[in-house]
Amino acid sequence: MRVEPTLSDAELHRRLVYGDESALGEVYAAYGGLVRRVAVRVTRSPAAAEDVAQEVFAQLWSRPYAFDARRGTLRTWLSMLAHRRAVDWVRGEARQRKDTHADDAALHAIPDAAPGPDETVVDRERSLLLHTALAELPQPQREVVHLAYFAGRTYRQAAVELGIPEGTAKTRLRAALRRLAESLADPPDPAWERGA
Amino acid sequence: MSTHHERMRDLLAAWAVGALAPADEKTVPLHLAECEPCAAEAERLRETVRLLDGPRRPVPADGTADGVLALALRSRPPAPRVARHAAPYAAAVAGLRSLLREVEGRGPWGTPVVHDWDVHATVAHLIAADEPLARCLGLAARLPEPAGAEETPWRDAWAARTAEVIAYEHRRPPEETVATWSARAGALLAAPEATDPERAAHAITLMGARLPVADHYVVRAFETWIHTDDIGRALGMTVPPPPDPHLRRLVRLAVRVLGTALGPTAPPVLFAVAGGGPGAQWVLGSEDEPVRAELVLEPVDFCLLVGGRYAPGEVPRGATGDAAAIGAVLERAASLAWL
Repeated sequence: MRVEPTLSDAELHRRLVYGDESALGEVYAAYGGLVRRVAVRVTRSPAAAEDVAQEVFAQLWSRPYAFDARRGTLRTWLSMLAHRRAVDWVRGEARQRKDTHADDAALHAIPDAAPGPDETVVDRERSLLLHTALAELPQPQREVVHLAYFAGRTYRQAAVELGIPEGTAKTRLRAALRRLAESLADPPDPAWERGA
Repeated sequence: MSTHHERMRDLLAAWAVGALAPADEKTVPLHLAECEPCAAEAERLRETVRLLDGPRRPVPADGTADGVLALALRSRPPAPRVARHAAPYAAAVAGLRSLLREVEGRGPWGTPVVHDWDVHATVAHLIAADEPLARCLGLAARLPEPAGAEETPWRDAWAARTAEVIAYEHRRPPEETVATWSARAGALLAAPEATDPERAAHAITLMGARLPVADHYVVRAFETWIHTDDIGRALGMTVPPPPDPHLRRLVRLAVRVLGTALGPTAPPVLFAVAGGGPGAQWVLGSEDEPVRAELVLEPVDFCLLVGGRYAPGEVPRGATGDAAAIGAVLERAASLAWL
């Protein structure tokens, strides 16, 4: 899919490529909140969300060519990267837990990522499963989910931002959510726990 | 024609994540009250979203930008703060470094770029091309100056030096060639002439052009960007043009050099750069005759023409008036290329 880059994304990208530090500050001011919200929703840990945000902005700054303004907006790109990194963080924690404790109840041992009083261990595990499945959705579906779910856009606004018809945005969003719902019903692929 | 039921069904996911448009906010719940299959799907999707959400907890207070961005700035230093004449070069160097990071990951050093150079050789060429300015500023040349350099015409000396450096660098790993180029560029930007306009005001002759040191920095920016663009094209990556203020500076210098090359008797042509406003037009050639033609080019296209990346007949342009006068300007602009 190719979209016409929005002028400000293309301009920000240009300044990032040419090493303009103030452009990085502007991107952070615009999207730092979104990146943290995404990361904390996956990791449940403000400290981990801080680490994820650091990584996300370091990636954008040190590898600006990884973002291509013709392939999507900076908002969705950052949101998807934050989500991916946050899922990786949780997987890393899970792996470490398996290495150090044989026992699954050790989920409680993740500092400040343990289920809160109003979240059961089962819910927490199902939530991680869903976020892992979300990270693996095809990109066109993932983009709509990020805009409509994490970034608080209506499906109409998401369609405009992605340069696709409203009907397509609705269809993609529905296909994505149904797929996630099905991933709960199917037994999880054991590969995700190995961090594959 | 889709039925009301189908339209409502297609909105269930948007309803579940709270992304309905205001107009649908009322109709969806009404439909759910009377349609059992939709109500079941809605319930399933909303449960999925509830699990994704997790417990509602306060969103963490935003950390300071400094804290979050510290890692970024450690992983890649920003373009250094230099005087305005050197800022385009500082940016161009940052731009080539960031493109070469992509090459380092994927390794296409042998991809043909321009002339008979691959990516590796193009960086090696820049080492040779930066050398004259570095030498003038008293930054030690990495290799001794070739014997007899003073008698050789500059274009020949330039070509010979490039061939020599490319041959040398091709025996080294590309990463070392990049490190050498990058260190030299860093030294040029750390020189007092890069930060102090007064020290950059004196004229020196490099590559056949007698210009203030400040302008030679602009020439370095021009050449570094053109070769970055060459490498980007070869690799299928779009290199954005330099930031507008820098681009304007490149254009102004190129117009001045072009005006000098055309001389005071050439048929006068009104030349303008698109989008540059009233400050971005010049009469090239004779000042004593009425203007024979008007020529308008995009700033990037003009730079690519002067850099030898467009043939005079191929550059996109707006032209009115005497075609021969226009042709002479385009031919002359393309002939300035030495890159």
